[in-house]
Amino acid sequence: MTPAIATLVIGLIVGYLAQRSRMCFIGGIRDFLLIRDWYLLKGLIAFGLTAWIAFPLLRGANNSFDLPDAVTLGITVLGGFGVGYFSTLANGCPLRQHVLAAQGTKSSITYLAGFFCGAAIFHLWIAPWIARLIP
Amino acid sequence: MTRLSMRVSSVTMGIVSALLAVAAGTWFQVSPPAAYGICMACHGRDLVNWTINRFAGTNLLVADASLVYPVLTTIGALVGALIASISNGEFRWRTPDHPVKTFLYGMLVMNAALIAGGCSIRLLLRSASGELLGLLGFAGMAVGVALATFWLRWRATR
Repeated sequence: MTPAIATLVIGLIVGYLAQRSRMCFIGGIRDFLLIRDWYLLKGLIAFGLTAWIAFPLLRGANNSFDLPDAVTLGITVLGGFGVGYFSTLANGCPLRQHVLAAQGTKSSITYLAGFFCGAAIFHLWIAPWIARLIP
Repeated sequence: MTRLSMRVSSVTMGIVSALLAVAAGTWFQVSPPAAYGICMACHGRDLVNWTINRFAGTNLLVADASLVYPVLTTIGALVGALIASISNGEFRWRTPDHPVKTFLYGMLVMNAALIAGGCSIRLLLRSASGELLGLLGFAGMAVGVALATFWLRWRATR
């Protein structure tokens, strides 16, 4: 029960702040490359630095520097690449799309429909196929 | 109607959401997996799969944090942003440009995120927690954003 309530409250706060700040975790890199605009990138850096400092303080750090097998490594980098590439084409990271959908942007609502269908599709067909690749 | 016009800077948003994400994992049992505090893709997946499992009796994967009740970050973010946009007079219906294309983008981003083990936020969170694999995923994401940005610019100036 605790995780469900906690994430609901955290989601409310993050969604509110994301709407007010127009924060996007993809747009930071995009805007900097495109028009040398630092605004969103500063938010991205602030998130990374704060989490980096807060993790050891709250004892949540991972510190797993051991390298996994080559397949896991490859698909993680490739998956990350896909997140970056398609999010940029879709005009914003998943959080930004949630915010835009809640603002009435119908294309983001279509995006979210695809997003949630994608989750079921992944676990029904793609994940079993990937599981066969990992030794 | 009185408008509560509140502006938040991106830095404030970054700091607050990072603290919430770390606190979620250590204090509010949003773990395992580690560094799972905020992830729009994995939490959305948990909610979808949990609901399908519940009503169709399937056994689709959900994270340990969502075994009993699903994590509700996606719902919270939607409602939070809705409250923010309505109370600041920014809610407005806008018609979509390419509904099929955006539907496909959503599907592709979700699949890529689940392959990498996190959306843009969780990849950054994993990097910050000291996980090398997360950092590599984040690096891949940065390269992806850069390539897509240059491609969009090339197409616009052609």
